[in-house]
Amino acid sequence: MKPGPLFALPVALFLLVGFAAPIVIVGWYSLIEPRSFDLTSDLTLANYRAAFTEGYGGPFYWSIFGALLTTLTCALIAWPTAKMLHARAGRGAAIITGLIAVPIFVSESVRLFGLSLFMMPGGGILAGSLKALFGVSIGTVLNTKIAVYLGLVYVHFPFMLFPLLLGVALIPRDRIDAARDLGASRWQVLREVELPLALPGLAIGALLTFVLCIGANAEAAILGGQAVTVVTRAIEQRFSYAQDWPMGAALTMLVTLVTAIVVFPVLARIDLNRLIRR
Amino acid sequence: MIAADPQMTGTPADTQPALSLQGLSRRFGDTHALREVSLDIAEGEFFTIVGPSGSGKTTLLRILAGLDQPTTGTLLLRGKDVTGQPPNKRPTAMVFQSLALFDHRSVGQNVEFALKMRGIDAATRKARALELLDLVRLGPDYYGKAVTQCSGGERQRVALARALASDPEILFFDEPLSALDYRLRKTLEVELRSLQRRTGRTFVYITHSLEEAMVMSDRIGIMKDGQLVQVGTPSDIYDRPRDRFVARFMGEVNILQIRDEHLPELNSPLPGFADGHLILRPEALHTDGQGIGIKVTVQERFQLGSRVQLHLDTPAGLMIAEQPASCALQPGDEAQFHFDPAQAHRVTE
Repeated sequence: MKPGPLFALPVALFLLVGFAAPIVIVGWYSLIEPRSFDLTSDLTLANYRAAFTEGYGGPFYWSIFGALLTTLTCALIAWPTAKMLHARAGRGAAIITGLIAVPIFVSESVRLFGLSLFMMPGGGILAGSLKALFGVSIGTVLNTKIAVYLGLVYVHFPFMLFPLLLGVALIPRDRIDAARDLGASRWQVLREVELPLALPGLAIGALLTFVLCIGANAEAAILGGQAVTVVTRAIEQRFSYAQDWPMGAALTMLVTLVTAIVVFPVLARIDLNRLIRR
Repeated sequence: MIAADPQMTGTPADTQPALSLQGLSRRFGDTHALREVSLDIAEGEFFTIVGPSGSGKTTLLRILAGLDQPTTGTLLLRGKDVTGQPPNKRPTAMVFQSLALFDHRSVGQNVEFALKMRGIDAATRKARALELLDLVRLGPDYYGKAVTQCSGGERQRVALARALASDPEILFFDEPLSALDYRLRKTLEVELRSLQRRTGRTFVYITHSLEEAMVMSDRIGIMKDGQLVQVGTPSDIYDRPRDRFVARFMGEVNILQIRDEHLPELNSPLPGFADGHLILRPEALHTDGQGIGIKVTVQERFQLGSRVQLHLDTPAGLMIAEQPASCALQPGDEAQFHFDPAQAHRVTE
């Protein structure tokens, strides 16, 4: 028997209950009066207006900016790494790939607490080493925006690297030779040949990184101290301490919307089958 | 160092060669891919390098194009030392074995690529691309077509037009026709040769097919184990192969040993011939006439258009003869064949 539409039933049910229904409920909540719980009251856009003012704008923009910056940074680091791993495929490359992959299996909080030891002021690994070796005193890195940014890059780098490795593998060596032979400089080869050919991998990696970053919470909580409030934290506060579900719902909808705006156009243009060589 | 001898290269000494290879060697670890290759290629010449796979011919071509660098040796392009220069700085272009077309770009964008890299404006690029497409017999409607929609022969022409776009002084070809079917290959061989005549460019072509080389080339270099073993015009090489390797490479030949002025395999005397080997082409064996006779039994008969090829069982082992189609011999027949040793070519190696 060939798998028919019926085979999709379990996942369809799951998505209906776990994804579609909550979205509808949250969407509805986002449209009722602030600080109320009455789903039968008149609908209003007050929560959305407030989202861009009244101090909620900060976390929202910070999360988008942080996600963009992290994605860009990861891409810039992952490109040469992927090129190097692809060019030197073999035992050495396999070991490096493994070393990059293993941390994914360790709890994110544990890794971030580890990183906080590195960033701690005074006796932290970074500050302490600089002081002991070079006599340089630096202030704290921990509890700053820089710390959150470094944490985001550190945690999400593998999500950029592995899709990009697949993307880089899509560039045939002879196309680079041909471009060079036809007069392209190394920069032109990158722009005209390598990036377009590796685009599926790059896009998937960027998508994963961006989407994970915009929803990331632990980096700011563990490394950022009070320096940053990310949008997920703001949403959590609305739903818990503040008991302002409509406001939390509006912020949730906005984050979902931003994610959709980024995800759908990219997925529509990328042939996933080509990336996994089907 | 065969090519250093001007008599063998046939290059007039007073004109500057388009390419001058001076002792090019390339090592990959312990492997010697190229050993001391020296050669002058004249301006406007169609030069073909022929050799079996692994003979180093692709390595040589990549070095000429700048995609690889020689371990030792010098490469002069119109008298200028270009050793070590990257490929994008050289006035040369290459047609790759895989064609290496940019599948993510249209036919027009492929052809224009070299012009775009040189910062030429879009309108000029398009005009030039259409000219080039016309030159390789592709109509203007191909300009916007996706490369992936083109047939094998069309892709071949796109690759050629793309290589011609920058108006290169020298074009390199790395077995570009090997993947095509026989008829298309024949057509493109003729077109390539005529294109070379029309443009007056220097073409350096690589193939493992001597037949292909014979059709197109002004001169041929035979490569073996990273060395040029013989360089000459097609007829030089066909009529006077330097050794048994070249002779066998030239197609089906019969090779007879000569020792002490005898052909030991046929047990017949051969006065006046020094030790070595006698190269006998299939057409040099006749059923009538004079010369040395061989008693044969016909094993196989193959029709080759207007001629037939016979596989003969002889005291010297299997020999091959070509006869007019009117020849009546059939498998199983016994016959007497003759050849004139004075007409045959002798090699020492």
